[in-house]
Amino acid sequence: MKIKSGFVLRELAGEYVVVALGEASKIFNGIIKLNDSGRSIWELLSAGCEREEAIESMLKEYDVDRATVEADFDRFVEVLKGANILE
Amino acid sequence: MVFVLLLHRRESCFLGEIMFDIRIANIHIRIDNAYAYVFHLCREYLFETDELPELYIRVEDQEIAEEIAIAEHPVTKDYAEAVCIYRKICRQLPEHFQSFLMHSAVIEYNGEGYAFAAHSGTGKSTHISLWKKHFGEEVRIINGDKPILRFMDDRLYAFGTPWCGKEGWHTNASVPLKAICFLERSSVNTIRKIEPKEAIGKIFHQLLTPDDLKTVDALFPLLDRMLREVPCYLLGCNISEEAAGVAYKGMNGSST
Repeated sequence: MKIKSGFVLRELAGEYVVVALGEASKIFNGIIKLNDSGRSIWELLSAGCEREEAIESMLKEYDVDRATVEADFDRFVEVLKGANILE
Repeated sequence: MVFVLLLHRRESCFLGEIMFDIRIANIHIRIDNAYAYVFHLCREYLFETDELPELYIRVEDQEIAEEIAIAEHPVTKDYAEAVCIYRKICRQLPEHFQSFLMHSAVIEYNGEGYAFAAHSGTGKSTHISLWKKHFGEEVRIINGDKPILRFMDDRLYAFGTPWCGKEGWHTNASVPLKAICFLERSSVNTIRKIEPKEAIGKIFHQLLTPDDLKTVDALFPLLDRMLREVPCYLLGCNISEEAAGVAYKGMNGSST
């Protein structure tokens, strides 16, 4: 589970946004806006983390219970899969 | 202008220049063309100088063929070449000239520029025509569709270029941008200011998708600055003349 190449995360006007470059823009044409926890998950996935590792890391970073983190993580991954951004 | 008949290096034989210099957005560009169409398109932007160009643009036959293959409507080779040339120019803008293409219609009124952006078919051209009708000859169209935006002297300027949409509305001039206005069709005319975070998604639809990281890293600071310095508005408008008045008032201190 990894984010396909060609997607980059940047900060713009205080928001986190992901844009698709070149070939990747044929898969996804537009931008993705992320909040702070979305950015964390994105960075973990970009770094190649698997589910358990990512969730452990999120639990350390945010003061939220495991069930919530797991649900958020899974929902985030579903959205990315739906948009064909994960490989 | 002296026209010469030349047998060109590529397949075409045409009346026009085979290589010429233009200046758009204060950038000196040399165009090494195969077809006459782009020369005629650029005739109001010709730049005569002995200086070397800042940018050299040439489009290969293969690129023209690809452009024809992906075009939504049938296009000729000479038209496709012109499209490819502008795209090549615009891809160089963020990294080398601190500027970028933003799909929009820019008008000038009272020395200030207003950029109208919308999904194609929404009615940008119709709306700016309403400004001309409402405010008269003082409204000047800088670029009807594809202006170049560039920071100069601490302000963001919009530049006319020969590439400007099907109406052919453009002026070889520049104007400081006072506001960016996103258009949506509506039965009543209303306008409201929107925050940068709401504008981000809308602006991205109007830009050339960056090809590489260098372009992203050059473009994002420009967009960030634009969003901080130029106010954005959302206009719901119909095709009555009142729409122009509502838009003007909304972007000049009073809202509806």
